[in-house]
Amino acid sequence: MFQPLDPLLHSELRLAVMSLLLGAEKAEFPFIMEQTGATAGNLSVQLDKLSEAGYITIEKTFKGKRPCTTCRITPAGLKAFEDYVEALKSYLHTDK
Amino acid sequence: MEEKEIMTAERSLEIIRESIEQSRRAMTKQSGRPMIWWGSLVVVFAVLIAYLWTNHGGPVWNVLWFVMTVIGMVGAKMMDRQREPLPKNIIGSVIGKVWSAFGIFCCGLGFITCLAGLGVVSFKALAPTPGYFIPITSIITFALGMASTTTGLILKNRAISICSVIAGIGGFFLALHFAGGEQLLVMAAVAVVGLIIPGIIVNIQTRK
Repeated sequence: MFQPLDPLLHSELRLAVMSLLLGAEKAEFPFIMEQTGATAGNLSVQLDKLSEAGYITIEKTFKGKRPCTTCRITPAGLKAFEDYVEALKSYLHTDK
Repeated sequence: MEEKEIMTAERSLEIIRESIEQSRRAMTKQSGRPMIWWGSLVVVFAVLIAYLWTNHGGPVWNVLWFVMTVIGMVGAKMMDRQREPLPKNIIGSVIGKVWSAFGIFCCGLGFITCLAGLGVVSFKALAPTPGYFIPITSIITFALGMASTTTGLILKNRAISICSVIAGIGGFFLALHFAGGEQLLVMAAVAVVGLIIPGIIVNIQTRK
């Protein structure tokens, strides 16, 4: 029996962002952009979606005079990620 | 990476694995320079202290290790500012704690031995058996090897792990064969094998 996959996480970029943030206390926007290879615009949109769902928090501060956007995963995001991986298992067991 | 709504379960797992692996690689990339920095400092100070110990006034010059620690930390802080921002992650945090524990043990051991050297604590309180001496260089060498090997294992870097095991175990026994300032030369050799060489290897590997 397939378990439903969280549509918010079942997207390449959003899943990559969540995986990056999973082991990090926090990560800055340029780092996420570099690691995922996404464009600034696309990444910004996807981060907003994750933030709206309460999976991540986005903090906008300044580093000297330069704006600095920092993302971190929330407990709700962590739970959603765990549930997503758990749901994936049901697909893997019947795929082969 | 463009957004694709249709993904297989395998692709999802691959993305998760790739992201975690990328984070680890980024961490490894930035571990080479601090290793070379600290290794070079240990070599310079070990040779300097060995010379001063042998020719100018004895083991009191070991107090310079504390000066090295301060210089090392200031230099490491400056390197942190220069490099590209890396998120604080579990891997970095664990490695940081491993080296903090190493620093605490070495500074603690060094501090107590210094107190004994200055006569604040009696040697008898530290080593009650007459004629017994604390092989501090061997112990610190062993601890350095362990901390460095742990770093290599966490980063899954064979070069760091192998060099550190050789440096830690080899240095431990080798230092037992030397006394006075000479054993600091063993410490310098350990820093070359356990820190500088793996640091250079990591830099070459991550530059590719």
